[in-house]
Amino acid sequence: MATEILVPQLGNEVTEAEVTEWAAAVGDNVSASDIVVVISTTKAALEIEAPCDGTLSEIRIGEGELTEVGAVLGVIE
Amino acid sequence: MPKQLPIDPGQTYSADKVRFTDIPVHAYKGDLAAEIARWGKDGLRAALRHMLVVREFESMLHAFKSTGAYRGIEYVYKGPAHLSVGQEAAAVGSAMALGPTDQIFGSHRSHGEIIAKGLAAVGAIPPGEVTSIVESHSDGRLLDLVTRHVGEAGGDPAEAFLLTGVLAEIFMRDAGFNRGMGGSMHAFFTPFGAFPNNAIVGGSAGIAVGAALRAQLTRSDSICVANLGDGSTGCGLIWESMNFAGMGQFRNLWQPPFDRNPPVLFCFTNNFYAMGGQTRGETMAWDRLSRIGAGISPGQLHAETVDGSNPLAVADAVARKAEILRAGEGPALLDIECYRYSGHSTTDTNAYRSRDEMKAWQAHDPITRFRDRLVDGGIITVGEADEMVEVAGAQIEAVTRVVVDRQLAPAVDLEASPTIIGDMTFNNEAIELGETAGDLLAEPAETSAVKSIMRKARSGIAEDGSQLSPMRAVTLRDALSEAILHHLTHDESLIAYGEECRDWGGAFGVHRGFADIIPYHRLFNSPISEAAIVSTAVGYALAGGRAIVELMYADFIGRAGDEIFNQLAKWQAMSAGELRLPVVLRVSVGSKYGAQHSQDWTSLVTHVPGLRVIYPATPHDAKGLMATALSGNDPTIVFESQRLYDRVETFEPDGVPADYALVPFGEAAIRRAGDDVTILTIGPSLYPALDAAGELAGHGVEAEVVDARTLVPFDYDTVIASVRRTGRLIIVSEAVERGSFANTVAANVTRLAFADLKAPPVVLGAPNWIAPGADMEDKYAPQEHDICDAVLGEFFADKRVNRRGVRNWDIAGMAKRGL
Repeated sequence: MATEILVPQLGNEVTEAEVTEWAAAVGDNVSASDIVVVISTTKAALEIEAPCDGTLSEIRIGEGELTEVGAVLGVIE
Repeated sequence: MPKQLPIDPGQTYSADKVRFTDIPVHAYKGDLAAEIARWGKDGLRAALRHMLVVREFESMLHAFKSTGAYRGIEYVYKGPAHLSVGQEAAAVGSAMALGPTDQIFGSHRSHGEIIAKGLAAVGAIPPGEVTSIVESHSDGRLLDLVTRHVGEAGGDPAEAFLLTGVLAEIFMRDAGFNRGMGGSMHAFFTPFGAFPNNAIVGGSAGIAVGAALRAQLTRSDSICVANLGDGSTGCGLIWESMNFAGMGQFRNLWQPPFDRNPPVLFCFTNNFYAMGGQTRGETMAWDRLSRIGAGISPGQLHAETVDGSNPLAVADAVARKAEILRAGEGPALLDIECYRYSGHSTTDTNAYRSRDEMKAWQAHDPITRFRDRLVDGGIITVGEADEMVEVAGAQIEAVTRVVVDRQLAPAVDLEASPTIIGDMTFNNEAIELGETAGDLLAEPAETSAVKSIMRKARSGIAEDGSQLSPMRAVTLRDALSEAILHHLTHDESLIAYGEECRDWGGAFGVHRGFADIIPYHRLFNSPISEAAIVSTAVGYALAGGRAIVELMYADFIGRAGDEIFNQLAKWQAMSAGELRLPVVLRVSVGSKYGAQHSQDWTSLVTHVPGLRVIYPATPHDAKGLMATALSGNDPTIVFESQRLYDRVETFEPDGVPADYALVPFGEAAIRRAGDDVTILTIGPSLYPALDAAGELAGHGVEAEVVDARTLVPFDYDTVIASVRRTGRLIIVSEAVERGSFANTVAANVTRLAFADLKAPPVVLGAPNWIAPGADMEDKYAPQEHDICDAVLGEFFADKRVNRRGVRNWDIAGMAKRGL
């Protein structure tokens, strides 16, 4: 089953974020609560944890790219 | 970056006891043979002589204040004289144990300390160096006065130089060490290790910690001594400073060779009275002052209570503490008990203490006791001791005769140069940045925060004319970051601190990513100690460093009131320009958080002479003005609006410069041209003003919008040139109207351009009440429609439309209600 890694709500007025760093590569095994990706808003960096155990099967937003609240950053299978 | 010091719940909740060790009280048991071996007979005789010189000096001031004459010299001295008669052993004993480059910072009662430190330095510095110090001061003018007029009775020329410089300073003469700008309570002479004395009780505590931090970071062997009174233990800054100097991070988180505590000694001259309040037993809780060391750190600040009537007990204690400090294991605390025979000041009638008490202490007179001891020990004869008293008297008399003479030692000439005091306020110097600092943890361009900014567009306007989002273009926050990081990476003397400055990246992200680049000792989290944050920055700067510190919210200026208004603002002028204070103090103006987190307090700091005050409103200016602030050698307060942190650059066609660039202070910027009304804005009011200008154009009114950019210095030329064309001026800011800097500008423009004005200038600020919470803010800070209401209502009656804002104040009526 595929689980998407989503950009969370970042506060009332924040809609955009940048992917600062992927802490896992495609094919890596990850456990729930591992930090897999770091995103940044205009003000702060935020570490995002894996929502479940599995393998990172896809990175949809690469490092340095901009994204929006609710977007899919990557997929864990 | 998460904390390196995890908090373990198991360890936290395990049963334990907080343990204390005994604090020694009057444990000194030195015997004379050992003291002779230590100081030599000459050293002990010198100590007695220095005590006598201090006593005579203070007695001279007492004579002038109480009788208007001393040894037949008549003189009316109008200034303060907080005398230290009875405290000579503390001053001289401490000076004996310190080296010439060790630094003392004093209080309002520190004449004796400066003289003792100076006399000790004159004896300890090689004669050639002493000569060059006294010859170079004031281009030799003071030495010339001493050589020509004080003569041989003044004793050793360097001693006469010292005494003349101190007394001339006290008597507010141009020949004073600081040209009379400091006076009695602020006199000092750094070449002999006597750093500023402070008329604010406890004021030296944080300054000494900052200077000690400078010594620590430059790996100097000097220690810093904060000479404080017992009464200062009631002041918050004392506690903030002791904690700051004892912070755990120095040992736990700073890297070698900086992993030491700042070498500072909190040296309390405990004379049992704070003016008329009795500290022990009445106004303080401590019972013994040294007890407070136990509350600060596991090492209890190495606290001790010492007999301040014996210079050798004091010297012994100070020497032992100095050794601890030089090993990096400070801070330390001494409670030096001694009795002040003189009143708090010369108007003190001693109503609060009994004659019996004063008489009992006469038997403990430090000079009599020490002289008797030396006589008993065969170190000096009674005849020699008596002669020493005579010589000290002659020395002080010779100096005094010259200094009271207004022909020989005049005050600065305010008739000939009416602004001479003002001219000492700012040095207007700027530094050149050097090569990349050698202590960086990473190449900035390789770090994620810097890369993130580098990916952004420099201009906030896209090719199609639309405005870019703050994730796509450089923001005001990013621009501040770039300027600060550039300085931090090119100037190893610059340190940055404040609450949440490191891991968090500053509460508003301006320091984001800096922790990956700048080592701990130049970028650290401070305690929530606003007074100590500013005070230590002052000390760090006056000891030769540079600091950028942050108070998070402008509202917290109140917590650092004295440190900003009396220390940061005044030391350059009070030192007649001897001291430089390159301190940048960042404060943000909040929004949404209500009355204690949303105030524009520019008017408070512009009111106090000695502070440069800037309020950038655009990313371009934020970068350039911050760079100018950091390059300068004058203290600068930088206001940052939280509403503007995410603003992108929309004025400069090329956007925010990628390279380092300066924007000069004192140049207002015309953001929109117009001929009908000038709208002068301070800080974020620029944006509603531009919106209002657009709306006013629809009514046939062309507004010229001028962004003040900097308030001190302020650019009247641009504003007045605009007003001469438009004939109308409205000044918009978020500061409350009463007492606002905008009123100063309005008054001055009225005077300077009266003939060109078609109507009186209007000040549109926040109303004279508290800033309300988020949902009510638009009825508080002036909005676009408020500006339109004011412009159309006040200046263009024929174009008036229905008022949309709620501001229709009856100024006089409101004032009567206190609003």
